[in-house]
Amino acid sequence: MNWHAHLPALLLAVPLLGAFATPVFNMGGKTLRNAWFIVISSSVFLIALALWHQVSVNGIQVYVMGAEQFALSLPSGMKLPVRIILEVDALSAFMALAGSITSLAGAWFSLSFMDRFTGLSRFVSLYLLLTVGMLGMMITGDLFNFFVFLEIASVASYGLVAFWRDRPQAIEASFKYMLLSQLAAMLVLVAIGFLYGRYNVLNMAAIGSLIHMGIVEKVALAFLISALALKCGAFPMYLWIPDAYGEAPASVSCLLVTVSQASLYGLFRVCFSIYGLAMSNKVVAWILIIFGLLSMFIAVSMAVIQHEVKRLMAYHAVSQTGYMLLGVGVGLLALGNSQALAEYGFTALKGGVFHIFNHAMYKGLLFLTAGTLYYMTGTRDLNKMGGLVRKSPWTAFMFVVAAAAIAGLPPMNGFASKLLIYQSSFAVHPLLTVVALVTSILTLASFVKVFQTAFLGPEQDRMADVKKVPATMLVGMGILTVAVLLLTFFPTWALSHLVEPAAKALVDQAGYIAAIMGGAF
Amino acid sequence: MWTKVVTGFGYWDVYSWLIFLAIASFFTLWLRNSGRQDYKEGTYQDEIYFSGNDVPEDGQDISVPADSAYWGFIKVFRPYYDVMLSVHNGLAQDYLGYFVLSIAIITALIVLL
Amino acid sequence: MTVGNMPFLVVGILFLMGVLAILREKNLIKIAIGISIIESAVNMLLITLGYRLSGDIPVYFLSGDVDVMVMPTPQALTLTAIVIALATSALMLSVIMLIYKHYGTLNVDELRRLRG
Repeated sequence: MNWHAHLPALLLAVPLLGAFATPVFNMGGKTLRNAWFIVISSSVFLIALALWHQVSVNGIQVYVMGAEQFALSLPSGMKLPVRIILEVDALSAFMALAGSITSLAGAWFSLSFMDRFTGLSRFVSLYLLLTVGMLGMMITGDLFNFFVFLEIASVASYGLVAFWRDRPQAIEASFKYMLLSQLAAMLVLVAIGFLYGRYNVLNMAAIGSLIHMGIVEKVALAFLISALALKCGAFPMYLWIPDAYGEAPASVSCLLVTVSQASLYGLFRVCFSIYGLAMSNKVVAWILIIFGLLSMFIAVSMAVIQHEVKRLMAYHAVSQTGYMLLGVGVGLLALGNSQALAEYGFTALKGGVFHIFNHAMYKGLLFLTAGTLYYMTGTRDLNKMGGLVRKSPWTAFMFVVAAAAIAGLPPMNGFASKLLIYQSSFAVHPLLTVVALVTSILTLASFVKVFQTAFLGPEQDRMADVKKVPATMLVGMGILTVAVLLLTFFPTWALSHLVEPAAKALVDQAGYIAAIMGGAF
Repeated sequence: MWTKVVTGFGYWDVYSWLIFLAIASFFTLWLRNSGRQDYKEGTYQDEIYFSGNDVPEDGQDISVPADSAYWGFIKVFRPYYDVMLSVHNGLAQDYLGYFVLSIAIITALIVLL
Repeated sequence: MTVGNMPFLVVGILFLMGVLAILREKNLIKIAIGISIIESAVNMLLITLGYRLSGDIPVYFLSGDVDVMVMPTPQALTLTAIVIALATSALMLSVIMLIYKHYGTLNVDELRRLRG
């Protein structure tokens, strides 16, 4: 057995080690701690890259925790898997790649952004724990394990949102987030209990192979959908997101975006891999589509009137999640009907999945530029900014790249994924496309406003002594800018190598189950 | 790598767009360059406001703050925004209420339909 | 071979009591207690799911000569869930402490600086 087989476990073990060893390295001083932070984040990225490569070459990777043979999910004589199993298919690897890139960028950015605050050893620990929770949600194959990682990510993010604990607003945001998120987590646990009570297994693939719809399964499905929709932000449950994203330190907001995507991933996993074809009617698909439409339009209309830069961007995070819900909802609508799937369903799935990756990159970048504005001027209020393009042209350039991408201006990557969503949702009903297009226009409008008020205009006297942007912050933003530009100029490569395997993995319920249960279920 | 992104209804090709962008910006710059050079300096043709408003001495006074952006848009949609602001009212228990209500609606929809 | 519906009824009532508490109570400490009640209700649900009538502990050398054992997995799940609940309760109470320090009140309706 070569070391490649251990990549799924390493993806979790390395950041976990990083989180708990940080206090030790902190004793060696600031430089050692920062070096440790970067080393761990970079290795997580490299492991995720290797894992993605491994999955795209060899298919689904299964890792059984604590077994004699790590790839053997069913020891002889067993009909059902008993141990905790990590199952990495193309979608999981895709998500883990996106998550590790934002984690790395946020880590570089934090080095100087957080430098003037105390308690940084705890910051680094919590940041790495948040990364563990996010990656764990993405690669686990076990429902209860999913809940545990969900809670690890949640608890770490409560701490990080309230990190500036001398700010009353940060504490308030953390409390509201905690209240809603704890109720959601308990609902997830109730749903897991229901499914366990019915089938006596916790493995997602095993449940998927056994499931047949009854009243208990339907209630469990409803609980899972509503709880995970709260965690990823869907109207009318997204109300904690502007508070939490707006008040967290910028590098944390950048990572929190991907943590929400991990909940979204859980939602897709539940809908496609656990329930899948067993859901004969289309209610769930329509619920996802309506969630998508409502949250994309209402959140963007709220964003237009904001004047706090991070709060504005947080509303956009909700609105972009709406596109993913719309795309994947249309794909779910076509599931089970091979003609519809070929005509528009698979395109919609590709658009939704591609948008996840794009969104993680450009929204992370936007949060980092917002953090840079805050670092330079000491305020987040757009009314008090102006003329900053003269102070930091690089920040302005990266902001324009990210804003063009999120508004879906051609030729940016956001346009490619939105085009796929527009054209496929048009096949279901033209109204879906109309709402998506209007949302896109309003997105552009609000980013024009940010660009005009923060960067353009004459040089202001009160902006005379703004801080210079340190190099490490530019590196953090540069990582994401390069990612956005690569996705922009090679959309075909990204679609055929990154997105299509992930979208195929999403519809391939039988393949997901067979990797655990063998061919004989 | 140089092929197109096919959506099933059409296609998206980033390089055609870039070529188009290059041609369009060439013509734009050419048009801009061929503007009139014979304007009279120091007259009203030189002023930045067509309306004849006074130009502030200090450039800082012309900047538009973020709250004034899209003033007309917000004014027209005031009734909509009044409703929306009453939803985003900052009360944690209202947020919990929306969540519980959504759970109830989703559960009813999935179980009954 | 499982118990009747009574324990599930109790779990349901307890869960709803917790939800009612976090929806209606204005004191932050009472809301935190409500969250704890919900967590306990879920833990009881898990334990009840694994119970088998007249079952013994699922450890071979301690249970003696019996044929029926309760399910061990839900107990492991519950232990994990209790630890998580402990962590979140502690964090929530410390956040409430900080809120009291900043806002000078424990009334949830006065946490309204973030809105719109």
